[in-house]
Amino acid sequence: MTSVLDAEGLRVDLGGTEILHGVDVSLSKGEVVALIGPNGAGKTTLIETLAGLDRPRAGVIRYDGRVATGLQGAALASRSVRANLELALAFWGVPKKQRATRVDDWLDRLGIAHLADRSARTLSGGETRRVHLARLLVLEPAVLLLDEPFAGLDVNARADLLYEAASALRSGERATMIVVHDRAEAWALADRVLVLLDGQIRASGTPSEVFADPPSIEVARFVGFTGTYNRGGEVLALRPTDVVLRDDGELIATVRRRVPLEEGIRLDLSFEDGQVVAVVPEPGPPLGASVRLDIVGGVRFADAVDRTTVDPVT
Amino acid sequence: MRSAPSIDWRTAGSCTSRSRRAMQFLVEGFRQAIDLLLHPDRDLLVLIRVTLIVALGSAAIALVIGTPIGLWLGLARFRGRGVFVGVSNAGMGLPPIVVGVILSLLMFRGSLLGGLHMIYSIKGVIVAQVVLALPLVIAITITAVQSLDANLLRQAKALGARRGQFSIFALREARGGVYTAAIAAVGAGLSEVGAVVLVGGNIQGQTQTLASSLLVSVSAGQYGQAVAVGLILLGLVLILGAALSAAQQRVPGGAAVRGTTVRVR
Repeated sequence: MTSVLDAEGLRVDLGGTEILHGVDVSLSKGEVVALIGPNGAGKTTLIETLAGLDRPRAGVIRYDGRVATGLQGAALASRSVRANLELALAFWGVPKKQRATRVDDWLDRLGIAHLADRSARTLSGGETRRVHLARLLVLEPAVLLLDEPFAGLDVNARADLLYEAASALRSGERATMIVVHDRAEAWALADRVLVLLDGQIRASGTPSEVFADPPSIEVARFVGFTGTYNRGGEVLALRPTDVVLRDDGELIATVRRRVPLEEGIRLDLSFEDGQVVAVVPEPGPPLGASVRLDIVGGVRFADAVDRTTVDPVT
Repeated sequence: MRSAPSIDWRTAGSCTSRSRRAMQFLVEGFRQAIDLLLHPDRDLLVLIRVTLIVALGSAAIALVIGTPIGLWLGLARFRGRGVFVGVSNAGMGLPPIVVGVILSLLMFRGSLLGGLHMIYSIKGVIVAQVVLALPLVIAITITAVQSLDANLLRQAKALGARRGQFSIFALREARGGVYTAAIAAVGAGLSEVGAVVLVGGNIQGQTQTLASSLLVSVSAGQYGQAVAVGLILLGLVLILGAALSAAQQRVPGGAAVRGTTVRVR
């Protein structure tokens, strides 16, 4: 695939603190890349640096085409929806004669043509995010950078917008990097996932590769492997589905915490060589009870940093 | 203008009778104001014309000069910016009488600005009013621009806005505050007396405004006439302020910059 954005060795300081420690990123034409990471990892800094809003202390960014960036908050100007899109086109340098047609086209494609003459100040959160997305897509950029476009929405509005965005963001001509909040969003949107931890890209791959086969215990913890089991010089990273309570289980653990969930009871279990999480049907064992369990999956690491195998342990 | 008889109310009898006399002046003032408005004479029309030229002319010049400066100070980040902002904020409290004295000294024949022949002229009065209105316009514009959503401004940059486009965008978003600045500048121009009298000489028919003519009426003990002129001046303040406020209220978030209203000094 043709690369339209290449960044190498990006180091960015904010307020005297280095936020990004030598980040390499490459985006190819037609792909959608999800950027995930915990709060404070440097996702926004990376997006804003790639957008040219923050200047890196070191590193190089090469573009092939123009970059449009949607920042967190989806701030719209105090004018109508149509005028907001036309303003973006004016900033982009699109001749006035072409603006109305492009605006109508994209408002229609995103199903918000009925909002065209509404003041941006009267829009709901979901409508604001749709207009924000339309304002970026109407520019038809070579690279689209989106920082948490679904932030602040309730669960239903978030899901609706996610499915709409999943098709709208697909384009053979555009490379898209999108900061998302959780694995479900990355699954729905992305061809590739980048995991940013402590200002460094720690994993890159398809969603199935990164989420099923994380390359380090830190990435594993971030992508949902909430338990660890130190077994004979290696560490097993475990998801709740990798832990099964059985009367004849191999390991004996103590229930440290019980949290009711929609699908049952989440149990935090600890034993001599580790701590794991399991989800069991109600009523489940009481707090402080001893239970027997088996490990039926997980990812194995030689130590707390490096992976030695990509095969799930069964 | 037709004048009421001159009476010195300070020597006009007991406390009760003085209070009664003051009420009579007020009633007489209303009567004269209505009479003047129904049958305006040339002197009154000239007074209103000079007042409007001074207020609107100085406000327009102050807006043309002060808005870009306020916009720049509101948006830019550079070392020493705080000093400029502090000076413009402090400038809102400039004593008009001090401005009048300094400008008069500068404008006297043979002085630094003497060659411009502005002393005792309407040009000089407008210059004095611009000096007084400029800090108001700058400070209010700074506040309006700084009140804008930082995300919105950054988003405009992220969409590729060039410097000129960005400035116009920010100004348009802050236009509610600019209207507030215009209201303050016009209000100051209508109501100011000290600098007008010192720089303009309070010459009837040339540099005398409604506000400065009040001084003459009061000095001459023509309280009825003073009340009448005062009521007309208040009417002008209300009409111009209401017109600008109506325009401001049509702006989404137009009343965002509050706390600054028409000042009468």
